[in-house]
Amino acid sequence: MVVSAGGVAVGAEGEPTRAGTRREMLRGLLAPAMALALAPVVAASRPASVEPRPGEEAFDETYHGRRIQGFKTATTAMAAHGAVGEHWQVTVDGRPLHLMRRADGTWLSMVDHYRSYPTPLAAARAAVDEMGPGEHLRDMAPGPVSGEQTDMGGHLHMGGDHGVYA
Amino acid sequence: MAYTRKDVSRLTSAEKRRFVNAMLEVKRRGQYDEFVRLHIEYYTSDGEDGLRAAHMTPSFLPWHRRFLLELEKALRRVDSSVSVPYWDWTRDRTAASAPWTADLLGGNGRITDHRVTTGPFAYAAGHWTIKEGVTDGKFLTRDLGRARDPIALPTRGELESALAERVYDVSPWDSTVTRGFRNKLEGWGTGRGSVAWRNHNRVHRWVGGAMLGGASVNDPVFWLHHAFVDLQWTRWQARHKGARYLPAKPPGVGDEQHGRIVARHEKMPPWDVTPDQMEDVSRIYRYV
Repeated sequence: MVVSAGGVAVGAEGEPTRAGTRREMLRGLLAPAMALALAPVVAASRPASVEPRPGEEAFDETYHGRRIQGFKTATTAMAAHGAVGEHWQVTVDGRPLHLMRRADGTWLSMVDHYRSYPTPLAAARAAVDEMGPGEHLRDMAPGPVSGEQTDMGGHLHMGGDHGVYA
Repeated sequence: MAYTRKDVSRLTSAEKRRFVNAMLEVKRRGQYDEFVRLHIEYYTSDGEDGLRAAHMTPSFLPWHRRFLLELEKALRRVDSSVSVPYWDWTRDRTAASAPWTADLLGGNGRITDHRVTTGPFAYAAGHWTIKEGVTDGKFLTRDLGRARDPIALPTRGELESALAERVYDVSPWDSTVTRGFRNKLEGWGTGRGSVAWRNHNRVHRWVGGAMLGGASVNDPVFWLHHAFVDLQWTRWQARHKGARYLPAKPPGVGDEQHGRIVARHEKMPPWDVTPDQMEDVSRIYRYV
């Protein structure tokens, strides 16, 4: 799984790496060069189809002048957690809207992070409600590449761990 | 010698000016955007697999305590007289009250696009361009009170319902628990509608704009809000003598929360510090 590869390559904390967390997603986005290098792995780990197949759950609508599209990409083997394990890819005007799932099965989006919604569609509509005219989603954390990202972590690791607050 | 964190409504003009100037300098140095990124990076939800250090988790309080200390350290490198003030949203409850004044955080966003146009953090002032936002907007946004679908700030009674809890947190240690101080304060509810979002979460929603999203740190009020949340932890400890951070020990291998939360003596990423070490910080700062 590419996210695991990303976590291992970039992460220095040594914590167990798991798929699908925000941290791994960010690492991927923050490291274009690395992402490129890992592109074949990404392709291999993705579900075979990126378009909704017949019978698959999906939505595609215009809501308040914005096109919101989404489809379920995978149901992973985390069935032990009940609702957990369902993954959706959602876009607003073609740009990815990152969704996260709560343990109760509800959904929250990157735009609206302090409450959750019953379905991915409801979360996407709520995100549109919050977006101003002419405002577009963007890829998270553009700019620094992986090296600087690691330095950033290093900066915040620095100072205080040994002595000041310990 | 411990320094103090003050009620933002009681800062002198000079204290406000120095706080604002230190914030702008930390932003100018590029450090501020690192804090924004870090907060995004550590937001792992409880419906996902993975370690939850910052939200929907017992370490919500010590993680943010440490996060505030890091920002405060950056501010104090600029001006050693500065600390993070707290916003008591049970008292200062309108868009006209502290901290929304032109000499501190500036006021509400305008109706058309929620852009903040007053105060030192207004885009036109030239010192506060959003670089790590959820959207491509370069300006700070707010929608105080949520004009389209109004909500109120949490009441004193709502806060009291959290402080009255006798245990710090309970299994399964996530956003679904209905008992325990941590989630009553963090504010994840069950059911539908705005009553389901309480205390900490409700304040993020009341401020709106940038504060609503994953990049909420972009609004300087993030720190004032979290200083007040942090103060509640101190108050809760004082009220429930001897009550400690829970869980004391990590959930076992067979537990669904195994490896997903931080126990009292485990390190809290990204720092080399445990919740236990964050429980008493009275020698670093105190609230006045």
